[in-house]
Amino acid sequence: MRIDLLRLPILGRFVRWRYSRFALQLPLFLLAVLAIYDGFAGRQLAPKNLATVSVWLHYRGLLVLIIAVLGNLFCSACPLMLTRSLSERLRRFAPQFSWPLALRNKYFVIAFTLVYLFAYEYFDLWAGPWLTAWLMIGYFGAALVVDTLFPAGTFCKYVCPLGNFNFTLSTVSPTKIGVRDRQVCLDCEGHYCVNGRVDAAEGPLPLAFNTGAAGERYPGCETKLYAPQIESNFDCTLCFNCVRACPYDNVTWEARTPAREWTGARYRLDHVFLGLLLFFAGFMNAFAMIPAYYDLAEKAAALLRTRSEGLLLMLAFVLWVGAGLGMTWIVARASDRIAGLRDPALVSVRRWGAAFLPLTFAMWAGHYAYHFLTGWATIVPVTQQALGNLGLAVGEPNWQLAALVPENLLYPLQVAILYLGLMGSAYVVFARARKLGRMSAALPMFAYLVALVALTLWVLAQPMEMRGTLLDPGSQPGGLR
Amino acid sequence: MRVLTLLLVLLLVVTACKPNKDQPLDAEVSISPWPPRVQPSRVTVHVPTSLDLVSVQVVGDMTHAGMIPVEAEATRQEDGVWEVRGFDLNMRGDWILTVTAKDRDGRKYVKEVRFTIR
Repeated sequence: MRIDLLRLPILGRFVRWRYSRFALQLPLFLLAVLAIYDGFAGRQLAPKNLATVSVWLHYRGLLVLIIAVLGNLFCSACPLMLTRSLSERLRRFAPQFSWPLALRNKYFVIAFTLVYLFAYEYFDLWAGPWLTAWLMIGYFGAALVVDTLFPAGTFCKYVCPLGNFNFTLSTVSPTKIGVRDRQVCLDCEGHYCVNGRVDAAEGPLPLAFNTGAAGERYPGCETKLYAPQIESNFDCTLCFNCVRACPYDNVTWEARTPAREWTGARYRLDHVFLGLLLFFAGFMNAFAMIPAYYDLAEKAAALLRTRSEGLLLMLAFVLWVGAGLGMTWIVARASDRIAGLRDPALVSVRRWGAAFLPLTFAMWAGHYAYHFLTGWATIVPVTQQALGNLGLAVGEPNWQLAALVPENLLYPLQVAILYLGLMGSAYVVFARARKLGRMSAALPMFAYLVALVALTLWVLAQPMEMRGTLLDPGSQPGGLR
Repeated sequence: MRVLTLLLVLLLVVTACKPNKDQPLDAEVSISPWPPRVQPSRVTVHVPTSLDLVSVQVVGDMTHAGMIPVEAEATRQEDGVWEVRGFDLNMRGDWILTVTAKDRDGRKYVKEVRFTIR
């Protein structure tokens, strides 16, 4: 039985309302404006600034929670897309380009995400309110520029590291856009879900081919997904344009088992690489917060006779992510060999690498859940402080407001999340092996995943060291000035 | 309409700004034991004797969002010397100590120092 969430009375009406996305975006936009203000004008102390608390704690924590429970609603409510109206006006004066064919995949985003993650560690973005504020402004600016010069949706699909992070993680979501009756789509000539709709006097017309027609307009999918062909949440921003544009009310937002996507969707190689990159980068992100990481950095610095943190960090990224990809390739080849397959290497990686997607989600969810649950209530005093700085009487902030759950429950929770991820990944691996007719083919990849999870749990079990400097900063003798 | 709404909101936010008024505190802060370790420690604040202070608060924050600050009221030891015993430095990493002193007229003086626990 399929459950269409749009059949729920209040939710369905809200989603079909033409300003529903704006209603979701506005609170986040207001928060972003206040956070940017506080990032520049507020105290430059990460735990006490709205920019750093809202972005590095609440955005990330709530993101994984909502993706796990509902879907990619953060892309639905993304305030960056409020620049769209301005982009449309600027297009009258700016030159128009089409996004290069060679970049119509995730490789640009993969490279951009690597740069972003490197910058996150190198510049300690998590510790810098003003840098975080600049990052937010940079995002707004990039969305505006890219979507002015290129077709709408280019930024989300091919450029935005956050959006693509959300796409990758939402492969575990329990919902997906679908259609009620495929025959209706086969008979539909306008393909309104992707082309948009304009309600002209003579009836509905596809907006993409009738931009000058008069009538109420309903834009179609900005990332160019055709509703009846959607088999994965990759590239779906849950903007619900398709729902509003379909004149036959045939688009659904249905509850599903994510395992159907992991085993049924035909992920492209670039999707798989993005998932793998995020898994290994997620590990690195957690590893960079424990003493063993700093000890390794000291040893590497002594070995290479360098004090350049940029060089050491780059080496750590390249070696770890490179080793991860290399090992995945070797293990995928081993699984293929056991299955009696002699396909090219990248085909093997594509076949088995998709199994990482549930674990990629678990990796980030485990890490983000820790930070969010230890400090979720800090949003109250930092917002009070930011509003207080604006001169509003909102009371004295209580900085002892912080944890949602007792600290001794956090590690068991992380273990549970990682094990659920491992179960999902193992399911995919064994489903693939069964499809190939040789269950033993799953064993190398399964053993590899278990080893990676064990390594991750070791990292999460270590005491944290929240340091902005990779190498030992040294101690100042005597008093601190 | 959307653009106008957003511009109006921005205008309201920006026009409501006001600057922070706390004054800098010319103090010397020391931690014992030094170098600092993850353990309850003693924080000593030396302030100019010309300041007629009624309270000195010491707050320790880590540089990552979400960490609960360690807060303590210092006690006066002698003229110009305030101290916190058992200040709970509970994690390795970068710390920021904020010393906030209040004088009899309610004026606030603030000093920040940074250190790292390895």
